[in-house]
Amino acid sequence: MTELIGTLRQQPWSLWWIQFRRFARIEIRRNLITKRAWWIYFLAFVPAVIIFIHLLIDRHQPSSMTEDTNVLAGIVQFYYVRLGIFFGCLGIFSRLIRGEMIERSLHYYLLSPVRREVILLAKFFAGSVSSVILFVFAMTLDFVLMYIGYGGAGQDFMLHGPGFGQFQAYLLVVTLACLGYGSIFLLLSLMFRNPMPGALLLWGWEAINPVMPSLLQKFSVASYLRHLMPVSVPAEGIFALLTVETEPVSAWVAVIGLLGLIAVVLVYCCFRMRRLEIRYATE
Amino acid sequence: MSVFEHDYRPYDGPTTPLRTRPLVLARYGLSEAWGSKITVGLAVLALLPCVVDLVLMYLADNPVAKMLVVGGSKVLEINEKFFFGVLETQCWFALVLAAWIAPRLISFDLGDNALPILLSHPVSRFGYVLGKFIALALSLSYVTWIPLLVLFVYQCYASPVPWAMSHLGIAFGLVAGAAVWIVVLSLIGLAVSSWVKWRVIATGAMFAVIFVPAGIGGIASAILRTKWGLLLNVPVVMSELWQRLIGAPDVFRGKMDLPMPAIVGVLIAASLACVAVLNARIRAREVVRG
Repeated sequence: MTELIGTLRQQPWSLWWIQFRRFARIEIRRNLITKRAWWIYFLAFVPAVIIFIHLLIDRHQPSSMTEDTNVLAGIVQFYYVRLGIFFGCLGIFSRLIRGEMIERSLHYYLLSPVRREVILLAKFFAGSVSSVILFVFAMTLDFVLMYIGYGGAGQDFMLHGPGFGQFQAYLLVVTLACLGYGSIFLLLSLMFRNPMPGALLLWGWEAINPVMPSLLQKFSVASYLRHLMPVSVPAEGIFALLTVETEPVSAWVAVIGLLGLIAVVLVYCCFRMRRLEIRYATE
Repeated sequence: MSVFEHDYRPYDGPTTPLRTRPLVLARYGLSEAWGSKITVGLAVLALLPCVVDLVLMYLADNPVAKMLVVGGSKVLEINEKFFFGVLETQCWFALVLAAWIAPRLISFDLGDNALPILLSHPVSRFGYVLGKFIALALSLSYVTWIPLLVLFVYQCYASPVPWAMSHLGIAFGLVAGAAVWIVVLSLIGLAVSSWVKWRVIATGAMFAVIFVPAGIGGIASAILRTKWGLLLNVPVVMSELWQRLIGAPDVFRGKMDLPMPAIVGVLIAASLACVAVLNARIRAREVVRG
């Protein structure tokens, strides 16, 4: 044990930290400040645009606040988690490694005197920061626009009612969704030349997961996030009949479970990265 | 041995008529699309529901077998509702197939900057797109209206009571519904593939283009308390259209009653948007980023 600690202390952590920051900065700029990223902004902010139209044209009676709260829960549960964040992270994290291979620029990174794990973790960090910034900001905007029209009642709901707690829970859900899906898409892009079939299978799996037995529900990002939702919107139609209700899991177990899943996936990504070989001719 | 004479001699053999030149591209497109084992696997997978339906039809049309399996129940009836379900299943398999095939048809040409070379041949931009469209539409036909018509013909043959003439509307609905979906899907597939350029991303983008607007439409409907947001929901729009074309009972029980002109208008608008994207992207130029 002491030998391991001694070995760890001898590693050039300061150099790795500098390299990590440099790579992360480059990637964040490439993810956020580019014309190609317009569609991620679209995915994140389109609900805010619709809520803004609602703010402009609809009268906000205090009696409709509960309905709007449920709509907001539906937006997070069905739009952000299943569509917006899913496809946004698919674009961001698939591009980190596979995109570089398609553009035939990954070898520049691999030829530089930097450990591959540092490159991978910096890229993951950059992708996570980009997606979390966008979707958390969009979520905040949604909340503000949804309740600002109610005036004093909305302010009271946010500051003295359950509003602020719901807001914090949604921010946690959005952040964990970005990290969870991001890590899986990074792994898929390392494992397959075309990560899309795998990603789309995951999408189907996430969609049908509520009707699966409780054991299988544990192998899903959305199932962990479902336990963190402050307001649950039930499914409708045939899905409502088939949905398997699992035992409620406390928030910290869900968070730790998901973070554990992310950590395992990242460790395996690092393992794959060490053995990564590029054959541009087959790309 | 040295060759001294390099005189230019123009080709004087038979040339492909102007009208049929897109078919050359379609032929190559088909071989490109079906050259992948995954395409073949997906197509076989897409036909599995038809095999199940065929077994169900056999059971429904055979009084003894039906009595043994479901007794006197009316569960197993071959009618408009049954064919509506079959059409829906096949059309969603067609989406999966299109998401795989369409990027193979276009993205390689764009990604490798081969479009200027292709368009320097005596084929127009319209001919190029038409050729690719034909290749994709034929591939999708293989899992949509062709097996559906086979099922219809089998039902006409196997039904113990006269069935065909009284249900011709179903056959028309199957072909028309599948044809509309094939056209929309092919245009979306080609437009997305030409826009995204990377085959890897184009497959996912195809699903995003279909399902993200559905989510946005759902948000608009819920927040603005209107049904018009559903017009962005392609699955709902197509289900409504197929149900009306076949004459099946309303699947949404009047909750999503969209007028027919609105449905047609949305599909035409989506198709025109795809044509505009193709017009902008399919050009004989090479972009070199410095």
